[in-house]
Amino acid sequence: MVETSVGKMLMEEVSPVVMILCTPLVEETFLKNGLSFVETLKPFCNFSNIDVPVRTSGDQLYRLRKFTLRLFNASDIKQPNVEVAKKRLEHVITEAGEKVFHDLKSDPPQITDILSNPEAEIAPTWFQYYNKELIRTLSFSEHEAFDHPVACLLVVSSKDEQPINKFVDLFNTNRLPSLLNDGVMDPKILKHYLLVHDNQDATTERTSKVLSEMRSTFGNNECNLLCTNSSKEGNVEHQANPWASFKSSVSADKLGCALTGDDIVEIKDLMQEFASRHIIPYMEQKVRELNQQISATRKGLRNQIKNLWWRKGKDEVPDSTKGSMYTFSSPESQIRILGDYAFMLHDYELALSSYRLISTDYKLDKAWKHYAGVQEMMGLAYFISDQSIKEVEYCMENAFSTYMKLGRSGFQNATRCGLWWAEMLKARDQYKEAASAYFRICGEEPLHAAVMLEQASYCFVLTKPAMLNKYGFHLVLSGDHYKNCDQVNHAIRTYRSAISVYESTTWSHIKDHVHFHIGRWYALVGMHDVAVRNMLKVLDCGNQSKPTQEIFLRDFFDIVQKTGMKHEVVGLQLPFINMSSLQVIYEDHRTYASLASALVQERIWQSLEDDIIPSLNSGKSNWLELQSKLLPKKYKESNVCVAGESVKVDLEFKNPLLISTSITRVSLICELTSNSDDIKLVDKEPSSLSLGTESSAEHNQGTTSGFSSFTLSEMDFTLGGGEKKMVRLTVTPSEEGILKIVGVRWGLSGSVVGVHYFKSVPAKAKTNKGRRKNKLTPTDALKFLVIKSLPRLEGSIDHLPEQLYAGDLRYLVLELKNKSESPIKNLKMKISHPRFVNPGNHEEEVTTEFPDCLKKGHEKNIVQCDTSSIFSFPKDVSLQGDKSLRWPLWLRAAIPGTISLYFTIYYEMENVSSIMKYRTLRMHYNLKVLPSLETSFEITPSPSRLQEFLVRMDIVNRANSDSFQIHQLSTVGGRWGISLLERVDTILPFKSLLPGQALSCHFMIKDNRKSGTEEDKTMSVLASQTDVKLFTQDDEEKFFDIVNSPLASFHESERSSQGTSDQLSPNTVDFILISHLAKSSNSSGVADVPKILSHHSCHNRIRSSNPLSWSLDGPQTLYHDFSTPLCEIQLKLIIRNTSTGLSSVSFNTTDCLPDAAAPTPSSGNQSGWRYVPDVTEEMKLTSDVMGSRLGKPPSSMESSPPFIWSGLSSTKVQIQPLSTTEIPLQISVFAPGIYNLSSYKLTWELSEHEDASSTSSGTCQGYPYYLSVLQSE
Amino acid sequence: MIVCVAVVGHQNNPLYIQSFTEADDALKLHHIVHCSLDVIDERVNNPSKTGTTLNEAFLGLLYPALNYKVYGYLTNTKVKFIMVTTDLDVRDTDVRSFFRKFHAAYVDAVSNPFHVPGKKITSRTFSESVTNIVRSYSFN
Repeated sequence: MVETSVGKMLMEEVSPVVMILCTPLVEETFLKNGLSFVETLKPFCNFSNIDVPVRTSGDQLYRLRKFTLRLFNASDIKQPNVEVAKKRLEHVITEAGEKVFHDLKSDPPQITDILSNPEAEIAPTWFQYYNKELIRTLSFSEHEAFDHPVACLLVVSSKDEQPINKFVDLFNTNRLPSLLNDGVMDPKILKHYLLVHDNQDATTERTSKVLSEMRSTFGNNECNLLCTNSSKEGNVEHQANPWASFKSSVSADKLGCALTGDDIVEIKDLMQEFASRHIIPYMEQKVRELNQQISATRKGLRNQIKNLWWRKGKDEVPDSTKGSMYTFSSPESQIRILGDYAFMLHDYELALSSYRLISTDYKLDKAWKHYAGVQEMMGLAYFISDQSIKEVEYCMENAFSTYMKLGRSGFQNATRCGLWWAEMLKARDQYKEAASAYFRICGEEPLHAAVMLEQASYCFVLTKPAMLNKYGFHLVLSGDHYKNCDQVNHAIRTYRSAISVYESTTWSHIKDHVHFHIGRWYALVGMHDVAVRNMLKVLDCGNQSKPTQEIFLRDFFDIVQKTGMKHEVVGLQLPFINMSSLQVIYEDHRTYASLASALVQERIWQSLEDDIIPSLNSGKSNWLELQSKLLPKKYKESNVCVAGESVKVDLEFKNPLLISTSITRVSLICELTSNSDDIKLVDKEPSSLSLGTESSAEHNQGTTSGFSSFTLSEMDFTLGGGEKKMVRLTVTPSEEGILKIVGVRWGLSGSVVGVHYFKSVPAKAKTNKGRRKNKLTPTDALKFLVIKSLPRLEGSIDHLPEQLYAGDLRYLVLELKNKSESPIKNLKMKISHPRFVNPGNHEEEVTTEFPDCLKKGHEKNIVQCDTSSIFSFPKDVSLQGDKSLRWPLWLRAAIPGTISLYFTIYYEMENVSSIMKYRTLRMHYNLKVLPSLETSFEITPSPSRLQEFLVRMDIVNRANSDSFQIHQLSTVGGRWGISLLERVDTILPFKSLLPGQALSCHFMIKDNRKSGTEEDKTMSVLASQTDVKLFTQDDEEKFFDIVNSPLASFHESERSSQGTSDQLSPNTVDFILISHLAKSSNSSGVADVPKILSHHSCHNRIRSSNPLSWSLDGPQTLYHDFSTPLCEIQLKLIIRNTSTGLSSVSFNTTDCLPDAAAPTPSSGNQSGWRYVPDVTEEMKLTSDVMGSRLGKPPSSMESSPPFIWSGLSSTKVQIQPLSTTEIPLQISVFAPGIYNLSSYKLTWELSEHEDASSTSSGTCQGYPYYLSVLQSE
Repeated sequence: MIVCVAVVGHQNNPLYIQSFTEADDALKLHHIVHCSLDVIDERVNNPSKTGTTLNEAFLGLLYPALNYKVYGYLTNTKVKFIMVTTDLDVRDTDVRSFFRKFHAAYVDAVSNPFHVPGKKITSRTFSESVTNIVRSYSFN
């Protein structure tokens, strides 16, 4: 244990004291070297191998190896003044703080570095010095003896007058330290006399005379001569200056400048001789003497009992005399001196036994300070003699707690005790315990506590495994204490080390605290840049409370302002940049009309453009291939953009704080290198947090030219607390080359410029083609090949409503513009929803106002419907300069819902650049289509006429607020004539359809195809009419022309989209209902009122319950001369199979008919009665008749006028699907009257398909058919 | 009185830390909790010293700081629970049962499918239940 640092320390601190008494001339002599006399000798007082045989109490001789003397001027032998000592300690700390000052600038140490440091380097070296100083504040204490001077060195210069008298004078009692005089220390000590001879200005004759005089007076052995200052010039430089380590303040090379090597050897020899010949033997003798004396009085049972009894008696003595209870001559002090001397002579056994002896005495005397001192020494002795750690622990603990019990006066001793103990624990690798020892001696005084805490913290690093959290905590505590004592340098130093602990953790509360405070302290010591650097780390303090954040920010800006310069901060966390939000929008051959269209997924566009862009195989026109041929491989992966067109970057900024922050001048950082010197692309990838002042401003310059070869957008905005904002930044290159977007910069409060470099960009650049995406590294996404400027088409659609009703028909204008001078040609357009949008044919064709232009009477050519979805503009359309092309578009909101309309316009450039031959303009619009009128049609065949059908139209107004007026209903295709069955007034009593209102009305339609075969020619006027007016008020209003574009073309697309599987079925009717918004319900108040709405309903099939429709065909009125009783009438039954299956029909007549349909002819007045049914009323009538009559029981057979089926009475026919067959019939009547020819039955059997697997069958009664047979005149 | 409870992840990252004092001593409590992690690590790495069985989650008194007592608890997933109390006379059984309840609350909180493991626990329900547990223990 002697070899440990604590052992060495003990050697130095618990060692014999030599009192120096010297004359002023001696001091003067040595001051030539910049040193006092004591200082001159000091380096030569440590003997590493003095090799002196020693015999103390026992008979055993042992050899002393290491030995140290402590030299003190007599004036210093006193208990140091507490205040002075404190000042000195403070000075030590301040001095150390100044030394570390320049280190503070560097980056904080890494935790791994700290851990890998050798043990000795972890704690700063000045701690040992401080600890030593601290222990020295307790020197010459009265309860200990190892500071008692062992010997006295009297020094007189040969230049002194009467040197012998001087010697005597020097040891004059009234000049001796008071401690020696008032009995604390033994004044009877070894004296040694030294004559100093200054070789520079003293004569050797006088010196030798004085020396011989001395020798005769004081004895030969006790006198010595020291010749010094042999160097006349006084400019000796010592290689390893022995004084350097003792005197730090003065420049070391001047020390000892007048001392030659011989002088030093002489001093060394002198000290060695003094120690080995005089001091050690003296101490040896003293030990033996004391030991004998004590053995006689104290050892043995008798003496002990006596002592005990004596102590008891002393109990009554009050404690007041405690301080001066013992003098040097008291037996207790003698024993203590014995112990200390023995300790100093390394006879620890003897020392321990004396200490043990004395400690009980002190305890009994309740002399606690003495007791603690002895315990402390015992601990040290145990330790240094490698005895059990338990004993050491017990003694130290005992000493410590005893000192602590003494209160303030004992605290300093306790501190020393703790320091010893901590050192001992450290020597035994018990660092954790050492740390707690340091922690215990923190005390109340902050500076002292700071040092102790810091020492404790280093112990935590040294524990195995290292307890870094505690290390950090103690450093922080220590730093706070330092700061309280204005030791800012030290505070910074400790916090700096603490940062290394917390940096990698997520304990942000602590981290913020450390960074914030160290930042402020750096600012205090004027290191503003480092201060800013630390403060930057607390800016992202979103988890702190709002007031804290405000303080952080305020102090940060204060400091930044104090620096008085602009700070460019890489990786500034305020605001936080969400890199995953990064989106790059740029245009190569794909251009976008609006932002919304740029954000649409690429594959939607691709699928839309598949047909119109030249295919990849066509070789030359493929820009990708071309590019790879023309360009060096290096650029193959880059994106292409065009000079003069901006590249947009969307980036999300987020304010992590609760306070709103304003951010100014946000712009991108870009590099543009022209193709020629592309190799010089410097990879400036600054470290994550580098701080420079406007250093990278040149980033934003094109490297090829003095002027900026691109322009950047700048933005200012304010982020509220916690707010996120998407910001669009643009860069517009103005010349060809390679453009790299490096990062983004922004200003914070004027003097801080935040810079963020895009390094780890997630490849989310939306416009990348899918198949290339994999190859693209993140930085590639931000690298662009800038090509020569090209024409760029701009397009917009005027007045496109965002919200409209289903069926709304609008006239829109697509405006295309090419601002560049070079023309573009070969324009093609494709629309994602041809059902919604229909391009017009001519430029600006509408002259009359919409919607009147759609009405009949305006001459227009009927266009054939363009089935392909690609619309090619006429070849002669070429755009250039300021001229804009206005092309009409028809929009019809086909179905309700939210619709995304995509337009893509392809165009080719003349003056083709090599890389890009064509471009596309992409436009995207969203429509919200609200439900309006919903129609459904039901067509049932007329029971009486094959060509006529009853149509029931159900209309529901599904709109929420608006009511509609119905304008017209038209059938499409000219085949079907339509006519009203009731007056418009009765159908629409309120003229308009209110929201939610449903309505049914009936129409009749008539197949005109076979007109002419019908018997009823009266209907021919109506037959040609395909439109029905459904309004009343304005008869001037014309019909809308549904055969013209755009209604026709929209209808065509409706047809194809409403198409069902059996759309080929010829017997379907298409209706167009045209309505407009009721004038009264202009609820929206917008100018954007729909003018007309068209509702298309296609493929309405004729529905009926049975698959057959038939009619009896024959005369209705007949004149017959009943003079010939039999009247035969030829009839025809036309049966039509309306189903899709093969139908077999059997026809049966029943002669004895239970029919009473005819008004009984017996009721008379038959002659004048005629019944000629009106077509429009027929249906109603028949149904009435059937309804009222069927329920009645059949009247008597006799009452019915007799007729018989005289022809075919039963047959069976097969009718092909959708075809007609005729069965000839004949009846015979015998009397005039009205005959109801419904006494037949049709039994049908339908096999849906050819295989007849599923058959259905049914029976139908015949319809009433009234035949009037009249007597001819 | 329990002044602070904390949940610390297996990488010694704070998952939840809540103090129950009026004073503004959050920083101090953070430090205390942070330091106690060293002790937990030490206990876990030298189980022989503590004398507790391996299956015991309760780590006992970690260290007596100046005015506080710090108790620890280690779950199977190496998540640490730390409790700081100002009560000087505390029975181990009480602390044990406190931690058991605390553990149950924690398990409930992290069972939330929207909780990201290793991220801070932000559940309001959790903090409410922790507050209730803390309120119900006064140890005196």
